Amino acid sequence: MIRISICSQPRLLNILRGVVKFTAQEAGVSQADADYLALAIDEAVANIIRHTYKGRHDTRLALEVHTFPDRLEYVLEDWGPKVCEEKIRPRPLDEVRPGGLGTFFIYSFMDKCSYDPDFKEGNRLKLVKFLPGKGACYNEGSSAKSG
Amino acid sequence: MKVQVRNLDKVSIIDPTGDVDLYSSPSLRDALLAEIKADGPSVLANMAGVTYIDSSGIATLVEGLQLSRQTKTRFGLYGLRPNARSVLELARLNKVFTIFENEAEALEKIGTVKPFGGL
Repeated sequence: MIRISICSQPRLLNILRGVVKFTAQEAGVSQADADYLALAIDEAVANIIRHTYKGRHDTRLALEVHTFPDRLEYVLEDWGPKVCEEKIRPRPLDEVRPGGLGTFFIYSFMDKCSYDPDFKEGNRLKLVKFLPGKGACYNEGSSAKSG
Repeated sequence: MKVQVRNLDKVSIIDPTGDVDLYSSPSLRDALLAEIKADGPSVLANMAGVTYIDSSGIATLVEGLQLSRQTKTRFGLYGLRPNARSVLELARLNKVFTIFENEAEALEKIGTVKPFGGL
């Protein structure tokens, strides 16, 4: 398991992308798919900085990467106000306007998205990506792409 | 990421290089919108040096497209790397932007683009 704790500074996003790409490729994910996973995590962290922390750069967040035989799990923790899951929706793609694509990319590239209701201090978002051909091994957690 | 601007005859070319993300997309936005507002007939974004683009970078390009329609400026992209191209395709924006393969094609054809997008 890898855990990285950083301040909520957008300049550090490239570090997280690098970690996600490296661990994905170590797990056998293709470079193209590793790039997509890095984009999904980047978007999730950007959402924390922009929406949960309202652009503040002096707060903290953490990323954990867990590698299992059948899947990769990414856990993002922040210590901001609770996220209202019902309000998180990707925008319709036929609306051509700036913004709103981050959640769409997260949902597109991840197999499961769920918030931990037991994390009291802030938000703990778990994102799961099954490794190719191994998705059936995993039965834990909430329904796919909720949250 | 760095952004350079080249002003050719009737065409401004924006050359971003590096990763375009939440941190760097404001620089691209400033350069892109400034060139579109500058009232030249055509603006091109050379994406060949863009190694990564996230939703904030795409939002910047969409904002540029929308402004170009208001100012009746021809606006196009070229040199997209496969990862950037696939992200645009996934977001179904590849048909919204005027996209050229390379700079030679872009310079040859940008004058035929309708100011509201499309050839």
